[in-house]
Amino acid sequence: MSRRSLAATLAAGFAALGLLAAASLAGAADGATGAVARTRLANGMTVLVRENPTAPVVGMSLMVRMGTRYETRQTAGLSNFLQLIVVRGTTTRDGTEIVSAADRMGGSIDAYADADYAEITATALSRFWSDMLDLVADVTLRPSLSDGTAQAVRDFLVRQIRNRADKPYDAAFDALLARTFGDNPYGWDALGLKESVERMDRAALLAHYRRHYVPGGMVLAVSGKVKRQDVIARAERLFGPLPAAPAPAPNTTPPPAPAAARVVLTVPGAQSQILMGGLAPSLTDPDLAAMKLVSTVLGGGLASRFFSELRDQQGLAYTTAAREPLRVSPGYFLALLGTAPANQEKAEAALREQLERIQKQAVSDEELRVAKAYLLGTLAMDRRTNARQAWYLASLETAGVGYEFLDRYQAQVRAVTAADVQRAAQKYLATLRTVVAEPPPK
Amino acid sequence: MLASVVALLLSSGCAGLSGQGGAGGDLPAPVRQVLPNGLRLIVQDHRAADIVAVYLYVGVGVRYERPEQLGYSHFQEHMLFKGTDKWGPGYIDRAVEGVGGRTNATTSFDYTDFYIVVPTEATEMALQTLADMVFRSKFDPNEVAREREVIFEEANIETDNPKAAIIRQLYGLVFADNPYGSPVLGTRPTLSAATSEILKTYNRQYYTPENMALVVAGPVEVKAIRAMVDRIWGVVPATGYQPVPAPAPRPLAGPVHRTVERPEQQARLAMGWQAPPANDLSGDAVDLLTTILAGAESSRLAKRLRDQERLVSSITMNYAALMGGGIVTLRADLEAKDLERVEQIVLEEIVRMQESGPTEEERQLAVIQFESQHAFDTETSEGLANAYALAETTWTLEAELGYIDRLGKITREQIRDAARRYLSRTNYAQLAFRPKP
Repeated sequence: MSRRSLAATLAAGFAALGLLAAASLAGAADGATGAVARTRLANGMTVLVRENPTAPVVGMSLMVRMGTRYETRQTAGLSNFLQLIVVRGTTTRDGTEIVSAADRMGGSIDAYADADYAEITATALSRFWSDMLDLVADVTLRPSLSDGTAQAVRDFLVRQIRNRADKPYDAAFDALLARTFGDNPYGWDALGLKESVERMDRAALLAHYRRHYVPGGMVLAVSGKVKRQDVIARAERLFGPLPAAPAPAPNTTPPPAPAAARVVLTVPGAQSQILMGGLAPSLTDPDLAAMKLVSTVLGGGLASRFFSELRDQQGLAYTTAAREPLRVSPGYFLALLGTAPANQEKAEAALREQLERIQKQAVSDEELRVAKAYLLGTLAMDRRTNARQAWYLASLETAGVGYEFLDRYQAQVRAVTAADVQRAAQKYLATLRTVVAEPPPK
Repeated sequence: MLASVVALLLSSGCAGLSGQGGAGGDLPAPVRQVLPNGLRLIVQDHRAADIVAVYLYVGVGVRYERPEQLGYSHFQEHMLFKGTDKWGPGYIDRAVEGVGGRTNATTSFDYTDFYIVVPTEATEMALQTLADMVFRSKFDPNEVAREREVIFEEANIETDNPKAAIIRQLYGLVFADNPYGSPVLGTRPTLSAATSEILKTYNRQYYTPENMALVVAGPVEVKAIRAMVDRIWGVVPATGYQPVPAPAPRPLAGPVHRTVERPEQQARLAMGWQAPPANDLSGDAVDLLTTILAGAESSRLAKRLRDQERLVSSITMNYAALMGGGIVTLRADLEAKDLERVEQIVLEEIVRMQESGPTEEERQLAVIQFESQHAFDTETSEGLANAYALAETTWTLEAELGYIDRLGKITREQIRDAARRYLSRTNYAQLAFRPKP
């Protein structure tokens, strides 16, 4: 939009940063910012407010306990579908009026579902905070879920699912998730499956809305240049009338046992994508911190083993990283590498060698120190903007651990030893599945 | 993936407004100083977090490359992370990540930028590391050979990313025969010909203090920063480097239409026009114009094509002010059968804008988008640091500081006139990506 936002897509970056946490930067604004106030409304809804006067802006996150974790293979994608449609029309505003209202506040409003939660996310210039909160409440409480919009959103989603299959990395990732989790609801992307999404209608959306948009599982987090008492008072007026009801239970189908299977897909593209993955500790598992350090040592940043050895020393990749998102139930660990088809065999062997070495040899103290600094630094830097603050507050509350979790987690990370890292690697990396997406032979 | 991160970094426009009541709020003004060796230093006191952002912009990029040097600015930039006379490869990443910081670099058309963001107590380390990288890199021949393979992979990634590929190819059509139409990543023959010695010579020619703007933003004192910069950067001698002015592109005579068949089923449309260069203040009206047409969620084209006629799933318009000449780009995701219809409607809406201009509500809404973008930039130190370094390199810091104020004074007639002047119904380029049958 700005004249300076030069052809972003044209500039050539040095690192494959897109695969790191979507961290903007640094953190720990604690000196300049207020503490968090947590309020429970009479109907059970939670409101979290963080005063942060440093910039004239506000970030808001409204979350409900809904997402793939609450779906089955038959309803896969319903949560995300519902999120897309709630911000596209209420009983008093159509979709265009909603985005126009947000634009007039110098902000935005959007909604999507993830694995453990579904979010309505909004930002605005802080002088418009109450108008934006009204808008968030309007889409939360009075979505029209009209037939016409449902049809348009369904067509859009079916095309998005189709497009994912065209992208080598996405196709490989979806294949790995499906095999790692089976009928466990982490086994599909939030977009859902073509077969399930094609069948979804207004009645299904309405039922899903009624089941999940209940105060028992609902959290509102607001961070920015606002007054705590004003936000709480307004939230009470807007959301207080909602009748109390408990949050629904998730789908607890267990994932299949790990297996060292290997699958090859053919997807047109210039690169081959190599993915290896398996199950990883949940948010509350005592192994979490040690396993996050396994991921960080292997593929956390530019100093990580994948990046320095596979990319810098062997020139086998441009993109290579490890991922391990925080999940309420056991989630996944993933090692990934994109390379030229000619290098594929060598790169796959090199990646496998990395995953074996960390099980056999303890990491050095220096390597562990750098990994801890990187992991904690990423977290601190990612928490600086109000939008991210609101996201952390709401998602951790929705996960049932509260924002206080981050203090415990950081202490656990600091306490991890080289022996802990090796034990976690042996436990979680012993049996991994492999998916390769390669271009068709020329 | 890569593109979106770069977008995040580059989209931090419109900084400034120091000391004014607008979105800038309570920030003190930045301090700009020029060292005796010509290095420009800008310091911004920013106390939102205990984090310092160090940004460096060097006046070198694709437009400085001769045809046989295509891709050298970028290749050379990669080599700066691969070891100095003091440290081996990997040191920079470990040093910065070992304090919890981040570093990266981007090569573009008019400049190459670097950043290191660290906790405040590591500021001197960041300044020293960055100076070592740009002035004392080794260009080890083995590292050059390895890094060449990495860049070939980077080019493969771009090919596989249709959003990046369509814009890059559109630049090639709008800026035919001009360096702005060339690929930042270079070509296989030019990269294969680049040796350690060639890249080192290229580095010594352009990486001179007079060709650099350094910005430090965070909870810092100007005096303390100046002392560190004098000690680390001030000792590097000037070379008398004189930049050559950017060549203006040959006017686009069109329309130019091109279709490319791609493996994806999603079709894409891109359209491009030439626009004012960075130092031309008439670009301010173009900023508002593109925002009103398709730069905001509730823009005219988004409302009509996405919400009413449902012909596109997304549509965006952008004005990039390069130093030799600007470009307005429009990009839409759609189904192949709707390509012609969508292009027709875009042209219709341009005509309507040329005839009657925007409404007052649209004008205000566009101004507020820029005010807001600036306000969100001030949340973090790097948002400001990047905006200042960019302005100092391609524009002026002063023009940047007055940017939001100037936008607020642009009239509806000026926006209409910008549409008449720049959005030609005939002299534009159109590029379509269609699925392979």
